[in-house]
Amino acid sequence: MSDEKMKILQVYRSEPTSDIETLVGVLNRDRDADEFKLYLDQPNYDVLVQKIYAADKTVCWW
Amino acid sequence: MESLKVYILVANRIYNDGIRSGLGLAVENHYAYPVIMNGEFPNMTEYMTENIAWIADMEGQVYSCGAEAPTDMPEGSEIENISLEELGEKMRDADVIIPFGMPKGSHEPPAACGG
Amino acid sequence: MAADANKFGIFVTCPQNMRHILGLTQAAIRAGKEVMIFFTFKSVHLTKSPEFWELAQLIKTENLAICTDSYICEGFDHEKDIPRGLIDKQMRTQAFHGAVLEQCEKYIVM
Repeated sequence: MSDEKMKILQVYRSEPTSDIETLVGVLNRDRDADEFKLYLDQPNYDVLVQKIYAADKTVCWW
Repeated sequence: MESLKVYILVANRIYNDGIRSGLGLAVENHYAYPVIMNGEFPNMTEYMTENIAWIADMEGQVYSCGAEAPTDMPEGSEIENISLEELGEKMRDADVIIPFGMPKGSHEPPAACGG
Repeated sequence: MAADANKFGIFVTCPQNMRHILGLTQAAIRAGKEVMIFFTFKSVHLTKSPEFWELAQLIKTENLAICTDSYICEGFDHEKDIPRGLIDKQMRTQAFHGAVLEQCEKYIVM
């Protein structure tokens, strides 16, 4: 898999801190990035599963 | 199975058990890189320093990000300093990234936590 | 990861996401996936929540485990107080996390 084509999903259980934003900025660079905010009311878990299966890599932050 | 590069991020002083989870993966032939964020170091018991040394023996490494690592660690259990940007670059090559436990609390622990 | 595309792994490290764990598990099953979960450290307290028994009913015995050492460290009795919904062979070690990574093509931390 070429690095440029990697699909990466960032999942947040709470609002990201500046440290997390910095790390995500580096991790997402030149990649096809998506995100999902679990801390919003009534997350749609079916959509989250779809996103996880569409991604090559998932990171779920605190 | 191929050996995976696994980063375990510890942001909260209570959750340094992430280091033990890293060791658990190291003995399963994975590369474990626990990262202690912003000075949330564990009590450096003999058990903890042995675990840190064992991770290094298994070609992993414990890092400190956002605070200077202790300089008085026993030989073989040294913690390596890493900047946030360097950590991000290294984690681009990670197979698995584990933000472990809970985020850092917004207040210093009261004396009641000390025991 | 060379693993089963049909298997979805959850590594639980935090004691406060039971709603997400159950919701994700139910959604993954609806999507036709087999779910494998390991609870470690303070997340073992979630075994005492009512939703944990519900979760355990959704997952094959061999796909759900908790860290015995964590359970003991948190003050529980791993022989006399096995969490409701589990049996003794689901009280495991960190090696089970290795198995989750080995077997599950998709994986999330909670």
